[in-house]
Amino acid sequence: MMLLKKMRNKKGTILTENIIFIVLNLAFIVILMLFLFSKTGSAPVLEEKYAKQIALLIDAAEPVMTIDIEMEDAIKIAQRENMNLNEVITINGNIVTAKLRPDGKGYSYSFFNDVGAKANFDTENRNKYYVVLSPK
Amino acid sequence: MSIQKNKKGAEKILSVYWFAILLIVAGAIVYLVSSFYGKPYDVREMEARLLTDKIANCLSAGGNIKENWQGLNADNFLEECRLVFTVEDSYGWDDDQYYAEIKISDFDSGQSLNEVNAGNPNLKLDCAVDDKNFPLCLERSMYSIDKAGKQYKISIFAAVRKTEKNVQ
Repeated sequence: MMLLKKMRNKKGTILTENIIFIVLNLAFIVILMLFLFSKTGSAPVLEEKYAKQIALLIDAAEPVMTIDIEMEDAIKIAQRENMNLNEVITINGNIVTAKLRPDGKGYSYSFFNDVGAKANFDTENRNKYYVVLSPK
Repeated sequence: MSIQKNKKGAEKILSVYWFAILLIVAGAIVYLVSSFYGKPYDVREMEARLLTDKIANCLSAGGNIKENWQGLNADNFLEECRLVFTVEDSYGWDDDQYYAEIKISDFDSGQSLNEVNAGNPNLKLDCAVDDKNFPLCLERSMYSIDKAGKQYKISIFAAVRKTEKNVQ
């Protein structure tokens, strides 16, 4: 009887160790995934990506064109940060600025195409911006 | 009994090693991801390519050279080709991050007929160095004809610096 009790206790210990081991492994994987997602979709990375992308699109475009840019990931972050969605992308002269946080500086990049450009938030779809080009 | 005890000890040592391996793997992933996403996207090659394309479209349309190409000079080149070389006010940049140069020559004799440049000419000197911390340079040439059927070779050279925002 005594031996049986000992054996039961022993088995229980092994099971607990295994569960702790699995939980720690899972926690490790979850933390790693969270780190990866936070790095790849962080505000500074997206600001740089969209500022450069829009500047290059304007360089490749001609006046009277309209450029549609899908920005769902960036707009989600801007909404979370209580940023005015009409000010996420601004174009001043030949400089594109993407700003996803009200307290941040944003990221600016210039384009060499001498055209008038205006960035507008798509209020219908609410996940897009469109840039209208006009001759100067 | 003693065998069982040893087995348990070995399992514990194994799990310690297992966590050590996990930590090493995690450290490597964190380092690689941080170094990859910590670096800026280098778009200068694309920018230089677009700049040469834009100049080429300005000088020649449908294979025919621009009518007033003889009148192109350093003063009117940017305006004629609808280019603007002003840049954002950061890292002490002083609108000196671009350079463009065109050379129009006779296709048969190779004699230079017109040479025009705009932007910061110092960037061309740095092009000899093949390093990402120096300006990115691109040279392309094309063939064109005028209304009389005379043939021309147009060489376009473009350099984009913007190192601070594209390289780390």
